[in-house]
Amino acid sequence: MMKELFPIKQVMGFVFSLVLTAVALAVYFLDMSFQLGMTILLVTAFIQAALQLVFFMHAGESNDKNAIYTNVYYAIAIALVTVFGTLLTLIWGYM
Amino acid sequence: MKLDKTGPLEYSTQQNQMNILGFWIFLGAEIMLFGTLFASYFTLENGVGNGPTGAEIFEIAPVIWETIILLTSSFTIGLAVHAMRINRKNATLTFLAITLVLGLAFLGIEIYEFTHYYHVGATLQTSAFTAILLTTLGTHGAHVTFGLFWGAFIFLQIKKRGFTPETTNKSFIFSLYWHFLDVVWIFIFSFIYLKGLM
Amino acid sequence: MEFFERFAIPHPSPLIYASMVGIGLTVIAIVIGLTYFKKWGYLWREWLTTVDHKRIGLMYIISAILMLFRGGVDGIMMRLQTAVPDNTFLDAQHYNEVFTTHGIVMIIFMAMAFIIGMMNFVVPLQIGARDVAFPRLNAISFWLYFAGAMLFNISFVIGGSPDAGWTNYFPLAGTDFSQSVGVNYYMWALQISGLGTLMTGINFIVTILKMRAPGMTLMKMPMFTWSALITNVIIVFAFPVLTIALLMGTFDRQFGTHFFASTNGGMDMLWANLFWVWGHPEVYILILPAFGVYSEVIATFSSRNLYGYKSMVGSMVLISFMSFLVWVHHFFTMGHGPLVNGIFSVTTMAIAVPTGIKIFNWLLTMWKGKIRFTVPMLYSIGFIPLFTIGGVTGVMLAIASADYQYHNTMFLVAHFHNVIIPGVVFAMLAGLTYWWPKMFGFMLNERIGKWGFWFLSIGFCLAFFPMYITGLDGQARRMFTYSAETGFGPLNMVSFIGAALMAIAFILIVYNVYYSFRYAPRNVGQDPWDARSLEWATHNPVPEYNFAVTPEVNSSQAFWDSKKNNHQLFKEKRSKIHMPNNSGVPVIMAGFFFVFGFSFVFSIWIGVIIAALGIFACMAYRTFENDHGRYISLKEIEETEKKYGGAK
Repeated sequence: MMKELFPIKQVMGFVFSLVLTAVALAVYFLDMSFQLGMTILLVTAFIQAALQLVFFMHAGESNDKNAIYTNVYYAIAIALVTVFGTLLTLIWGYM
Repeated sequence: MKLDKTGPLEYSTQQNQMNILGFWIFLGAEIMLFGTLFASYFTLENGVGNGPTGAEIFEIAPVIWETIILLTSSFTIGLAVHAMRINRKNATLTFLAITLVLGLAFLGIEIYEFTHYYHVGATLQTSAFTAILLTTLGTHGAHVTFGLFWGAFIFLQIKKRGFTPETTNKSFIFSLYWHFLDVVWIFIFSFIYLKGLM
Repeated sequence: MEFFERFAIPHPSPLIYASMVGIGLTVIAIVIGLTYFKKWGYLWREWLTTVDHKRIGLMYIISAILMLFRGGVDGIMMRLQTAVPDNTFLDAQHYNEVFTTHGIVMIIFMAMAFIIGMMNFVVPLQIGARDVAFPRLNAISFWLYFAGAMLFNISFVIGGSPDAGWTNYFPLAGTDFSQSVGVNYYMWALQISGLGTLMTGINFIVTILKMRAPGMTLMKMPMFTWSALITNVIIVFAFPVLTIALLMGTFDRQFGTHFFASTNGGMDMLWANLFWVWGHPEVYILILPAFGVYSEVIATFSSRNLYGYKSMVGSMVLISFMSFLVWVHHFFTMGHGPLVNGIFSVTTMAIAVPTGIKIFNWLLTMWKGKIRFTVPMLYSIGFIPLFTIGGVTGVMLAIASADYQYHNTMFLVAHFHNVIIPGVVFAMLAGLTYWWPKMFGFMLNERIGKWGFWFLSIGFCLAFFPMYITGLDGQARRMFTYSAETGFGPLNMVSFIGAALMAIAFILIVYNVYYSFRYAPRNVGQDPWDARSLEWATHNPVPEYNFAVTPEVNSSQAFWDSKKNNHQLFKEKRSKIHMPNNSGVPVIMAGFFFVFGFSFVFSIWIGVIIAALGIFACMAYRTFENDHGRYISLKEIEETEKKYGGAK
């Protein structure tokens, strides 16, 4: 019964996401440089997102898998371009 | 309607498959929506004017609770979809209900958080930083609120109509939405709170 | 009385009062007409509640043409005002309002509506589908667009027009400098119609990916469908940026935030940045479907296969991504360093390459082709040199250092009209003429159409080429007048004459509709143009179910194959056809959106709350509704097919 309703894949995914959260919290509780902290956050956040996408959202299970992945990667790429392009334009590259 | 009996019920008709693909594309648009909010947030992060900075107003305890609650709700909605696929109606309804209760709890903490900001003098009008902070959190919170109503409606429909191609399709799409909100929260948690407190 | 004072116009003039009376009389005339001819039921059953992609397409196109005239009148007023030095036809404030509404109406409510209408009508036919993926959502898209357009258009008689330019830069658009509710209208009209556009984007991507006829792989889609797919991809990723920018703008104006202020940590250039992150992809949203139309028209009237199909597709895919990488070229002079300007200068020049590839493909399609100089083909041939000039001046503007000279002058105005008019407007007129028999079952008159083309092209050249010169000489855009000593007078007069010729062209085009409706023969058959793609494999005008039998294809010009290469399109037997039901919810929901937007503009919170509840009630109704559509019986199909001549 328990085994049927709590498939191992989902449970592991959940545990892993809690672990990633704990790792991310290290940047608050431990003393570290800004660069190291940001690196940790970037790594944990993107792994966490990928985890949800693959384990929980079943992005690759249907015939439309290619369309779905293309869509998501495209959106992420353009979102990153927007975030970093905006920062480049308005903050870093501003005289 | 041609029914495909081999796969899960939520994929069984052409319309169902289109609904799911369409929702994924909507989520692509949502990625851009929150991407724009993050772009604005990072731009205005230091625009605190005479108001407080993030480090001065963020509290770690409620944020950790919010994160754990939302992660758990993302887990339970995943379990709901799984239960639906093995045709366990009561289990599906239970997991869905737990998800919604957790969502409500999340919202409660967020409301507490907002009143806290209000008391320490960080309102929409204080500075560009507080405005973009509250707008970003508020947009996420509004999505959660919308999701609570949506989820409740789907709960009622499964209860009344059981598993049909329509209800399973709606539940699956709702689960995509809910997982996505969790992903967005992870980014808020990492790049607004933790980065601000670092 | 105090409540009603807010609706007064802050800056009245006889022109505005006359429009007010005009709008009032038109509304009364429509209501009386509908009642007298007992057409309310017909209107509700056949149009307001329709989910048929062809009717929605037509409603988009009709609205777009109405908006073309609204925006056109604005344009003529501007050219009239600047035709001679120190003119007093419009004062500064009124001129500001006119150029603002001209821009928004033409881009958002004319061009966007026209291309979306064209896609609605043509794409499902080109891929052999019965409707779009989400017919109900499609109706919502249209009605949201319509609600937004109406909201925008009542601004100048209730409360005041937006007056901060179509780019609406802050702090000018903030409450300090734009005190009337005009900019609030801008925010909500764009927000509401933008939501509709986003839904269209999702709808068409799914339609094109999932509903193609058997055998039609992605690389066998007609070029217009390809352009529609790419356009909708850009829509889906660009419009959320606008949503957020508008939301922040609304907050700044109505809730006292400081996003785009220069105090309390705000940053006014963030608006410009976000606006163009959306705005530049928007340019390609407009031009790609135009490229699609030209590809269809040029191939058909050169009686040749489209040259370089793969490079056409490749260049559009490239453009879709690159369109998100160039936005900063709209504000090179903002004050960021050479690194930023350098990067965006290079990306901007690079995006001209895929566009150039397409120009050569069209030229090579015509090469050695048997060209028929019909009206759609004339527009396409006129487009190539004119658009190329616009493209070349675009590359000039892309050079960041030189842009300091061109920025904010009439040179820029000349450039973007030079790409938008021969690009988008010519394409829409070409497409409308080309697909007209598909829509209505008769042809537009060729002779009047050609007169229209020549008036429009010559008028266009006269109206906009002088601006390149005055712009380089330093005439700033958006100046409501200038003194005689500047020497801008004569060339501006030429511009005005050009604008007048363009107005005559549009009158001719409308007259052509009337003339052809009266006199054109109705039995044009199925294939009046000797065309190539799948939409011509069904009857003119198209029956409700599009194709009695789903066609099977094996190339991008399936219909040509069936005519010349014995390809059999229809193999299956006829059977009953599943169709979606009509619904009144979309139009009612859009009504609530209109009330929501209007109340928000004037900060009438009770109206906002009631309308929001109405919107959510419509959504809740939809989720509990059990609607499985309906079937058209075999008997009904047989009868319809017989009426059309029964060939297929």
